[in-house]
Amino acid sequence: MSWRHDPELDDVLQDDELRRLATLLSAAERAEPPVDDAFRSGLRRQLMSQAWSMSEGRDSWWRRAFAPPGLAWLGAAAGVVLIASVVTYMTLQPTGGLTRVVVSSSMDGTTGVALQQPILVSFNQQMDHTSTQAAVQITPATSVTFSWESNTLAVQPSNGNLAPNTQYQVTIGPGARTAAGQQLATPATITFVTQPPPAPTPTPPPAPTPTAGPGLGEKELAPLGGTSTAAVQWSADSTSVYFVNANGALDLVSAKGGAVTVIAPDGVTSPVISPAGDRLAFIRGGKIEVLTFAAASTAELAPAATPTLLGWAKDKLVWAAAGGIYSQGDKVALLLAPLPSTGTVNVLSFSPDGDHVAYQQDQALMVLDLGTGKSATIGQAGAGFLGWSPDGAHMMYSAGGSITVSDLLGNATSTLPSGEPSWSTQDAILLGSDTELSQVRPDGSGATRLANGTYHAPQWAPNGSSFAFVRGGQLWTATAPPMPPQPTALDQAAAVVNSFMQARLKGQAADATSFLDAGGQQAYTTGGLSLTINGDPFFSRYYILTQELTGAEPDTARFVVRLVLTHGKIDVSEFEETLTLARDPTTNKLLVDQATAGPRRDLGNGAEVVGVVVTPDTIQVTFDSDLDPGTIAGGIVVLDAKGKQIDTSQTYSNKTVTISGLALKPGAHYRIVVLTTVRDVLGHNVAAEYDLDLVGPVAVNQGDGKTSGPPTTGSPSPSPSPTPASTPAG
Amino acid sequence: MSDPSRDEERELVEHAQRDPRQFGALYDRHFQQIYRFVYSRVREQAAAEDVTSEVFMKALKAMPRYQDTGRPFAAWLYQIAVNAIADRYRAQRPAQPLDDFHDLSVAGPALEDLAAHRDEIRRVWALVENLPPQQRIALVLKFQEDMKIEDIAVAMGKSAGAVKLLIHRGVSKLREDAGELRPVE
Repeated sequence: MSWRHDPELDDVLQDDELRRLATLLSAAERAEPPVDDAFRSGLRRQLMSQAWSMSEGRDSWWRRAFAPPGLAWLGAAAGVVLIASVVTYMTLQPTGGLTRVVVSSSMDGTTGVALQQPILVSFNQQMDHTSTQAAVQITPATSVTFSWESNTLAVQPSNGNLAPNTQYQVTIGPGARTAAGQQLATPATITFVTQPPPAPTPTPPPAPTPTAGPGLGEKELAPLGGTSTAAVQWSADSTSVYFVNANGALDLVSAKGGAVTVIAPDGVTSPVISPAGDRLAFIRGGKIEVLTFAAASTAELAPAATPTLLGWAKDKLVWAAAGGIYSQGDKVALLLAPLPSTGTVNVLSFSPDGDHVAYQQDQALMVLDLGTGKSATIGQAGAGFLGWSPDGAHMMYSAGGSITVSDLLGNATSTLPSGEPSWSTQDAILLGSDTELSQVRPDGSGATRLANGTYHAPQWAPNGSSFAFVRGGQLWTATAPPMPPQPTALDQAAAVVNSFMQARLKGQAADATSFLDAGGQQAYTTGGLSLTINGDPFFSRYYILTQELTGAEPDTARFVVRLVLTHGKIDVSEFEETLTLARDPTTNKLLVDQATAGPRRDLGNGAEVVGVVVTPDTIQVTFDSDLDPGTIAGGIVVLDAKGKQIDTSQTYSNKTVTISGLALKPGAHYRIVVLTTVRDVLGHNVAAEYDLDLVGPVAVNQGDGKTSGPPTTGSPSPSPSPTPASTPAG
Repeated sequence: MSDPSRDEERELVEHAQRDPRQFGALYDRHFQQIYRFVYSRVREQAAAEDVTSEVFMKALKAMPRYQDTGRPFAAWLYQIAVNAIADRYRAQRPAQPLDDFHDLSVAGPALEDLAAHRDEIRRVWALVENLPPQQRIALVLKFQEDMKIEDIAVAMGKSAGAVKLLIHRGVSKLREDAGELRPVE
């Protein structure tokens, strides 16, 4: 017999018989399975196609380096590298070898440039500082200071920041001269687009890093005797766990660990704690036993038909037996509702409130309403019951490779990733599996991987913090971190608007249509608006100018989105669309319900408004240019619905006019008017009066005691897709 | 001294991380291995194709986040495959007998022992299929895929110690279940 020695197994298999078995296992040679060459090459083509689209969608290195505000320092690092390169290049050049002045910038052509970023312009040779600085022209009008690092000029806005959502054109005019006196042959223009303003709402806490388990305070409680699932019941105060082991014994163990107490030695099924937590019922020997904790006594019920499953309807015991669902009457068992008499019927679970029962009839998953006696079919044939919401109003079932959440009439409300689910009183759903534990909200949002490892049959405690699970034939407990705060309705609406606009930016009208309800579809068909924008100048980017939550229950939100049209490299015109989003009552999704478009305006003629933040008491209007402060008073006014000017006080700082002293009424209509008397620092007046209609925002709690409509959080265009945080496994 | 084939693989991985279009080389290198493993678990050509597609598509999309931990790239692919198979077949067991995957033409034993030996191997592998899922996967990766314990640990998202325990328990369980199996002398 051949023996292939594997030293790795020496300390694993120390017994000759185990090693012999290992040898047998290794001895089977692997036959090559049938491979369809067409599949192999087809998959490769599919992968390559995906890879091409990934590489096209990839941000260039400069964008990745500069986009996150927190990494703005990387820009400086890039500048230093650039400077070093130029110095090296210069050093290696022979004297008199530089006959042509070359102007470059790593920012040229980029989007999403950080607002705190100086504008870096590099020259291939030493420049005369005075003439070069004098030759710099910046559009929009911006007060700047200059500094030099070798042959790189850093142009820094005087107030510290660039304007958000703005295309800058920085031109070095022919007046610039080299140190040797040579003039630029032609003007050089650098263009770039800045990122949106930072959102002042608190950043959600980062998703917890998946741990190997100890981070969850895992404790091994008790052996289950070989079973990989256990009928687990938590005590009402979440301090103890009742479970049935592989031998059918009903055991009790403290959630902190310790000795196991045997409640019943064998033959136990279907343990269930009463909602008040004062009693525990279980089936044993064809009878129902009810343990009352306070009295430490057990009562026995022996229904005529053998019970198969127990539940509680408030303080009344209910059970399934042949033919129907029963409850305890004064003397005899009461038939609450009959079960179907056709097909193979298997009762699976009582809802936590005892009002419904899930059962399987042949291949169909059904829910029986014990109040009406009517059954509803849940999902498609083959759907598998997975659990209830704690209030008994929703259920989870397996469908294909995922989990569907539905109401008890079978109307699906969301889809969750696959796993073994448990729904907490805090509305977090744990998903256990062989390889990881994750957590997700019932609407499918906020999916977070909590830990790597085996987490079978997770079961939340009533406190919504601890949970039990099965690993390696043992019962364990652990504590899950709370779910991060749910995104606000306005955040959700902004995500919809961004997805809608991204689809349009890519010319994907069908995808964009999926974000429209009937009203929205009408606006983009017969309403005169167009989902796709063709021609030259072309639709190059968009940003959210302002956003407000305008109603609750159902949520409605109003967005003003600016669409920018570009010719060549230069933004030449723009127009606005006002989108009203409403939450669809059946799907619970926010969709675009109304849309209107404003007139097209040419760019490059005076200051433009690039962001408006509306709260009930203040409005902040941000411009792309530095303004002449003397022209602001009286140049920016707020009108009410009747066109009457509202008295306000105004302050100006960092391109932003803050209008305060307001008391905007929720839902009331207002208009901001920027008059042509407003001038930028170069003396250009606003080319034409600019009007922006607003609705008084609904006060939303920001968590810091303030009420406000969150500010603009628009995406630069094109906006990168968010990168999934988890590893691909699973 | 560095392993030239590991160095080459590391280079391929780095290229694919920089430019997803370079992923094709990794696909060519690992397709057969992953497909064979997946097929051995799902036993159906169509299902094996579905899962293999899923594995490579997930791997491609996750390349930017892949971190070289010093283990072979294939261990990571196995991890994706193990999870994909678990997701797809969590509630199902392989339907077909093992004989159609494990070629039991064993080299080595004398001709007269061959039939008995083959039979024994077939029976042991059949018992493997009845093991708890984690033990089953650990044994398949060790004895069928011939992987190192450290690499199995990566593929299963566990520590090497946990994998050793799974292998020990798995083979011990086989001994219990195979009481009647006797060595072929």
